[in-house]
Amino acid sequence: MSIDWHLYEATDVYDELIAPGGRARKGGAGLKKALAKLDDAELSERRTAAELAIRSMGITFTVYSGDESSTIDREWPFDIVPRLILKSEWEQISKGLKQRVKALNMFINDVYHEQEILKDEVLPRVYIDKSKDFRIECMGITPPHEAWSHVCGSDLVRDGDGTMYVLEDNLRVPSGVSYMLENREVMKRVFPELFSDYVIHPVDDYPAQLARCLRSLNPNATRSPQLAVLTPGIYNSAYFEHAYLANAMAAELVEGRDLEVGDDDYLYMRTIQGLVRVDVLYRRIDDTFIDPEVFNPDSVLGVPGLMRAWRAGKVALANAPGCGVADDKVIYTYVPDIIRYYLSEEPILPNVPSYRCVEKDHRDYVLDNLDQLVVKPANESGGYGMLVGPKASRRERNQFARQIRANPRNYMAQPMLNLSTAPTLIDTHAEPRHLDLRPFILTGEHQYVTTGGLTRVAMRKGSIVVNSSQGGGSKDTWVVDG
Amino acid sequence: MVDRTLSSTAYRAYWLGRYLERAGSTARLVSVNASLLIDLPVRLPLGWSPLVDILALEEEFMALYGELAQSDNSNLDENEKGVSRFLLSDQRNSGSLLNSLGYARENARTLRGTLPRASYEHINDAFLFAKEILQEPLSRTRRNNGLKHIIARLDQINGFLSSTMLHNASWHFFRLGNFLERADMTTRIIDLGTANLVASESDLEPFADIQWRSVLSSLDSMQSYTVSMQNPVNQPDVLEFLLKHDELPRSLLRCFNTIRHCLRSLPKNQEPLDLINQMRRQLQRARVRNLEGERLHRYTDARQKQLLTLHTKITNAYFPQT
Repeated sequence: MSIDWHLYEATDVYDELIAPGGRARKGGAGLKKALAKLDDAELSERRTAAELAIRSMGITFTVYSGDESSTIDREWPFDIVPRLILKSEWEQISKGLKQRVKALNMFINDVYHEQEILKDEVLPRVYIDKSKDFRIECMGITPPHEAWSHVCGSDLVRDGDGTMYVLEDNLRVPSGVSYMLENREVMKRVFPELFSDYVIHPVDDYPAQLARCLRSLNPNATRSPQLAVLTPGIYNSAYFEHAYLANAMAAELVEGRDLEVGDDDYLYMRTIQGLVRVDVLYRRIDDTFIDPEVFNPDSVLGVPGLMRAWRAGKVALANAPGCGVADDKVIYTYVPDIIRYYLSEEPILPNVPSYRCVEKDHRDYVLDNLDQLVVKPANESGGYGMLVGPKASRRERNQFARQIRANPRNYMAQPMLNLSTAPTLIDTHAEPRHLDLRPFILTGEHQYVTTGGLTRVAMRKGSIVVNSSQGGGSKDTWVVDG
Repeated sequence: MVDRTLSSTAYRAYWLGRYLERAGSTARLVSVNASLLIDLPVRLPLGWSPLVDILALEEEFMALYGELAQSDNSNLDENEKGVSRFLLSDQRNSGSLLNSLGYARENARTLRGTLPRASYEHINDAFLFAKEILQEPLSRTRRNNGLKHIIARLDQINGFLSSTMLHNASWHFFRLGNFLERADMTTRIIDLGTANLVASESDLEPFADIQWRSVLSSLDSMQSYTVSMQNPVNQPDVLEFLLKHDELPRSLLRCFNTIRHCLRSLPKNQEPLDLINQMRRQLQRARVRNLEGERLHRYTDARQKQLLTLHTKITNAYFPQT
């Protein structure tokens, strides 16, 4: 027995590999055939090989279960069937992402300077004034290249008609890129023969590109800036990634206690020889924890005085503090306007149609149609705190309606998208599973977009929740010549 | 050139070295005892409890295996099972082999930026292997076999790191941890060489040498001994060999020499270097051949205390915040 594509049923949905009628989409025939050639035993063997590779490479993510001592390191759930994207389509998407992030960076810079966009009433001032990610401490600061969000992870989803939408932009401390890189490594170990059938564009220059981006932010006149990656520590769910990137960039992996800000406002790390200056800090800690002197005074993760050093222009922080002001699901609804305002261009990538609960007509619509909408809080990530209307109970919907009425600024709603699927190996046959895509966009002196990105897949049948913290897995993403 | 090694990195490399070595030593120690007991006559009141004493874990053992510890060794089988479980796989004993390997793995995990990529894989594999093979109930055969494989894997990891890791400051800290732990364990294994025998019982005399032969072969040093000492196994020569023979990788003097070499490659080394130099001179001058019984025990005990002081000096010099 092997995969019988006649039994593959992806109806009423856009499938990334199989077109209606059962034929492979452009570029997909080779993969479809190669998979059908493997019998059950071989399929299981490959899957086991992938699991073993992941286990011994130590690719893990951390699941919280209460206190720190009981966190569990889980092996990264991985599906061995890759997801294909044609190069021609990817080039277009990549252009759209650069445009989007460029405009968002201009927006953040404007918010912390003249606030032209508010004066011109393109965006109501209330959204900034009431934003919990607006940082008054950032007013008047101009980071190198006027870039604020140096590493952005935007989530893309494809709807039933095949259109690729931007679902959200993660501008603060997006994670997942190391899994994108590791997925490719695993695939090379497990399916080496497929690589000879396809022209698959490599992903592995990301760490070098990230290092180049970070170096371009160097505020000090040193030829070779000292880079460091600031991690909250080994109990953080993305610790694996922090270590991976530091390693790949030959940057120091540091925790708050390795750092101190001197009386001269420079940032230093504690070494066996004494203090050594850090020029660029890629921080993987939220704003509110980076400096107990300015933000959360109880934070032990950050470095007292870090904001002072940054404001004095003596250390670069990536991403810059305060950039979360644009990473807000209500601001998101304005991104097409933001692109038009700063670039005088039409957006290349569309937004998912969205309703702002703060506007009365939108809110009335949302409250009347809760059973058909997905409602999201403005400032949560990881899929937490949202309502999936069609799947929720009446009680949950009523409770959400109360929350929306009480704090409309904090919510936006979108129609429930019919997320595209791709064949996923379940036991020894292929079944459609919903997925999304997170590419990463770098902004420093130059812009760079990953080749493809991290494809996350909801492993449970019918589920559209792809977060690894909630039962999601991932696939290697291949950008291929058509 | 400024050395950019973070204090915290140095600290972890040092502990990685210590835990890896401790895991290997614990495996060796249990192996020594197992082969020792095979060689000795059954009627002798020997057992497994000396292992616990030698590692200074009596209190922990009492707390967890109180009944066993108080029994008069009448049930040797139970005694062996309890001690071997306590030393090898018991999660509650922070010094168990599995815990040592687990801590080594944690340190390797946090050192991913410093170690060659595959090191974590190897250490992780060794941990997973040990966890699997040491599962209770553990038969003698599986245990002895498993320990052999665990020791081999740990030797491979040491070899791998030596031939792939940059021999920079982190490496020196790794070796410092390695050899401090090894020095400590060599003195403890010497303790074990005499611990089981009651010196006054003259009918045990013929077995004294068996005991030393067992110790040597478990350290993979029997052949080296024969080559170096050119004498049948006897206590004075063995002591000379294990303590002062510089060519033997596990001898105390060799450990001291390596520690000294590592410290000389590091900045800010004054205090710990002064101490190791002094320890080394003392050892070179000491007459160890004729140490016996209580005097021998006091001698090894004093070395262990010095090593503890050295550890403190290293900590203060390089990772004071930790």
